[in-house]
Amino acid sequence: MAGEGAGPAARLFRYDRRIAANSARATFSGWHDRLIAATMLLFALAAARSWLLDRAWPITALTAFAGSVVIGSTAGRLIAVRLAFHAFDGPLAADALRPVLRRRYLIAWCAIGLTLLAILTVIARPSLLIASLPGYLIGAFVGHVTGKFSIAGFGTGKAGFGRMLRSWIQRPGAGIVAAVILLLSLAFTAQYLRGDALVVVAGIETALSGLALTIVDDSSVRFQTIAGQGPWRIIGRQARGAMLFVGIAAPVCALVFGPALAAVVAATSIATLLLMAMRTLAYRIHGKGFADFIVSILTGLLILTAFSMPIVLPFVGIAILWQLQRRSAARTWLLA
Amino acid sequence: MNPIIDLIAVSIERTGERVVRHVDLTVIEGSWFGLIGANGSGKTSLLRALAGRLPFASGSCRIDGVEMIADRPARATHFGFSPPADTLPDALRGREVLELVGGDIETIWPRLGPLRGALGLDALLDRWIGDCSAGMRQRITIALAFAQGHARVILDEPFNWLDPVAAFDLRQALRAMVDNGLTLMTALHDLGTLAVACDAGIMLAGGNVAMELDSRLLETAAQDPQAFERQTIDRLRAASVP
Repeated sequence: MAGEGAGPAARLFRYDRRIAANSARATFSGWHDRLIAATMLLFALAAARSWLLDRAWPITALTAFAGSVVIGSTAGRLIAVRLAFHAFDGPLAADALRPVLRRRYLIAWCAIGLTLLAILTVIARPSLLIASLPGYLIGAFVGHVTGKFSIAGFGTGKAGFGRMLRSWIQRPGAGIVAAVILLLSLAFTAQYLRGDALVVVAGIETALSGLALTIVDDSSVRFQTIAGQGPWRIIGRQARGAMLFVGIAAPVCALVFGPALAAVVAATSIATLLLMAMRTLAYRIHGKGFADFIVSILTGLLILTAFSMPIVLPFVGIAILWQLQRRSAARTWLLA
Repeated sequence: MNPIIDLIAVSIERTGERVVRHVDLTVIEGSWFGLIGANGSGKTSLLRALAGRLPFASGSCRIDGVEMIADRPARATHFGFSPPADTLPDALRGREVLELVGGDIETIWPRLGPLRGALGLDALLDRWIGDCSAGMRQRITIALAFAQGHARVILDEPFNWLDPVAAFDLRQALRAMVDNGLTLMTALHDLGTLAVACDAGIMLAGGNVAMELDSRLLETAAQDPQAFERQTIDRLRAASVP
């Protein structure tokens, strides 16, 4: 058999590295794509550096640690999911099932993530390396372990309940139920909390409801794309629950709790809808892993913009959506 | 007549339910073994488990006389297996995916033998998989099962999405390779191929073996395909009645 002597340990890694490299080349194929990406990267780095240098070291260290844990856990989970795919559906399943090769694959991708994070930290504020690197490693470990648990049923169909739940919460009625739950919860919480504290609670509850209502199933997006559905039609169908949620929750909040709280509910809901739109468009262009990677980078960019220059945020959001939609529109009917 | 795969009372679970129950089968080296059955009868689960992609819940799985029921990596190493066509990465070209799995393309060609022409692979080498039709993807996945030079190959419904000419050429090429020593297991829905091309097989219904198809029965079937089709359909209908 081929491959045994030709470094099978590296085959899994080479396979995914080639996919990532080709996807990146396709994503930034035009000079304007590269220009936009470079501008966004420079802008994001400058904003991060400015924010981190302006604050006391303990605060920035804590922020860097928390952010690195999130990045590490996302990376660890993505790697676990990818290994599960390789073992079940991939052409290199024999490699993906061997513990030694799995470990090498895991270490290789974690090392790449760690190196990139170290470079970014050195650019932003070198003294934060002491917080970001351990944070990443802890996050990667946690993400890998939890990822392995959550994909324990990969290929054996044990995700049936999750699929059923996802299907239910994408119905418009789920948006009405979520809005009613939010309003009842806020009415109850208002008896104990007032002012900013209530607004924070409203923001957190809205974010949780919004994220639950805008879950995107990549295989469903892919199927609809093959079947000839345009990007905005798919987004519109998936947004029904969240639109009903914000359509009910925001006006009632304005009447009962005041305009500030209603604005937070509306803004948070719009943010979750924007995230859903970005994921849907990205799933039409790329495989799930790379699409999630791209969307997490774009989300980070939007968060940085919101913190450093909020007035520019709508323009950056529109630019991102336009760029993704331009490429995803061309995918309709492909693969048929 | 050397049995290289010997399954005894194997069961497979998916979604917490047994989808394959106490199946026995034996595959002889250098033969084409066909699995037929209704959708959801357990064909794909059985082939995936044999190829290490799923665990067996119980039973005995001996390959070359070695017990491998609990050893998924060993089973995966023993067989060439075609992944589902829709899971191929859009961002690779035909040549790239073949070379990443099997090494240099000039090394892969001899392993594919007559399949190179039957699958029309030369025309797919420089095409992005994302731009391929379902039939083109299917051709690449079949080639992937042979790219590493396995002498035992498992194909799950290989004739799906192929046009009639490609399906005919593929059947001829696979039969020629089996005559030259390849051991092949395929899930099939085409009773004609089963009758004409396979050496033995089983019919699965509800996860159980509903009918064993030995070489004598298939020889008779090849002489009178219509009678075989009628008999098989009657069996499948009877098996689907709760």
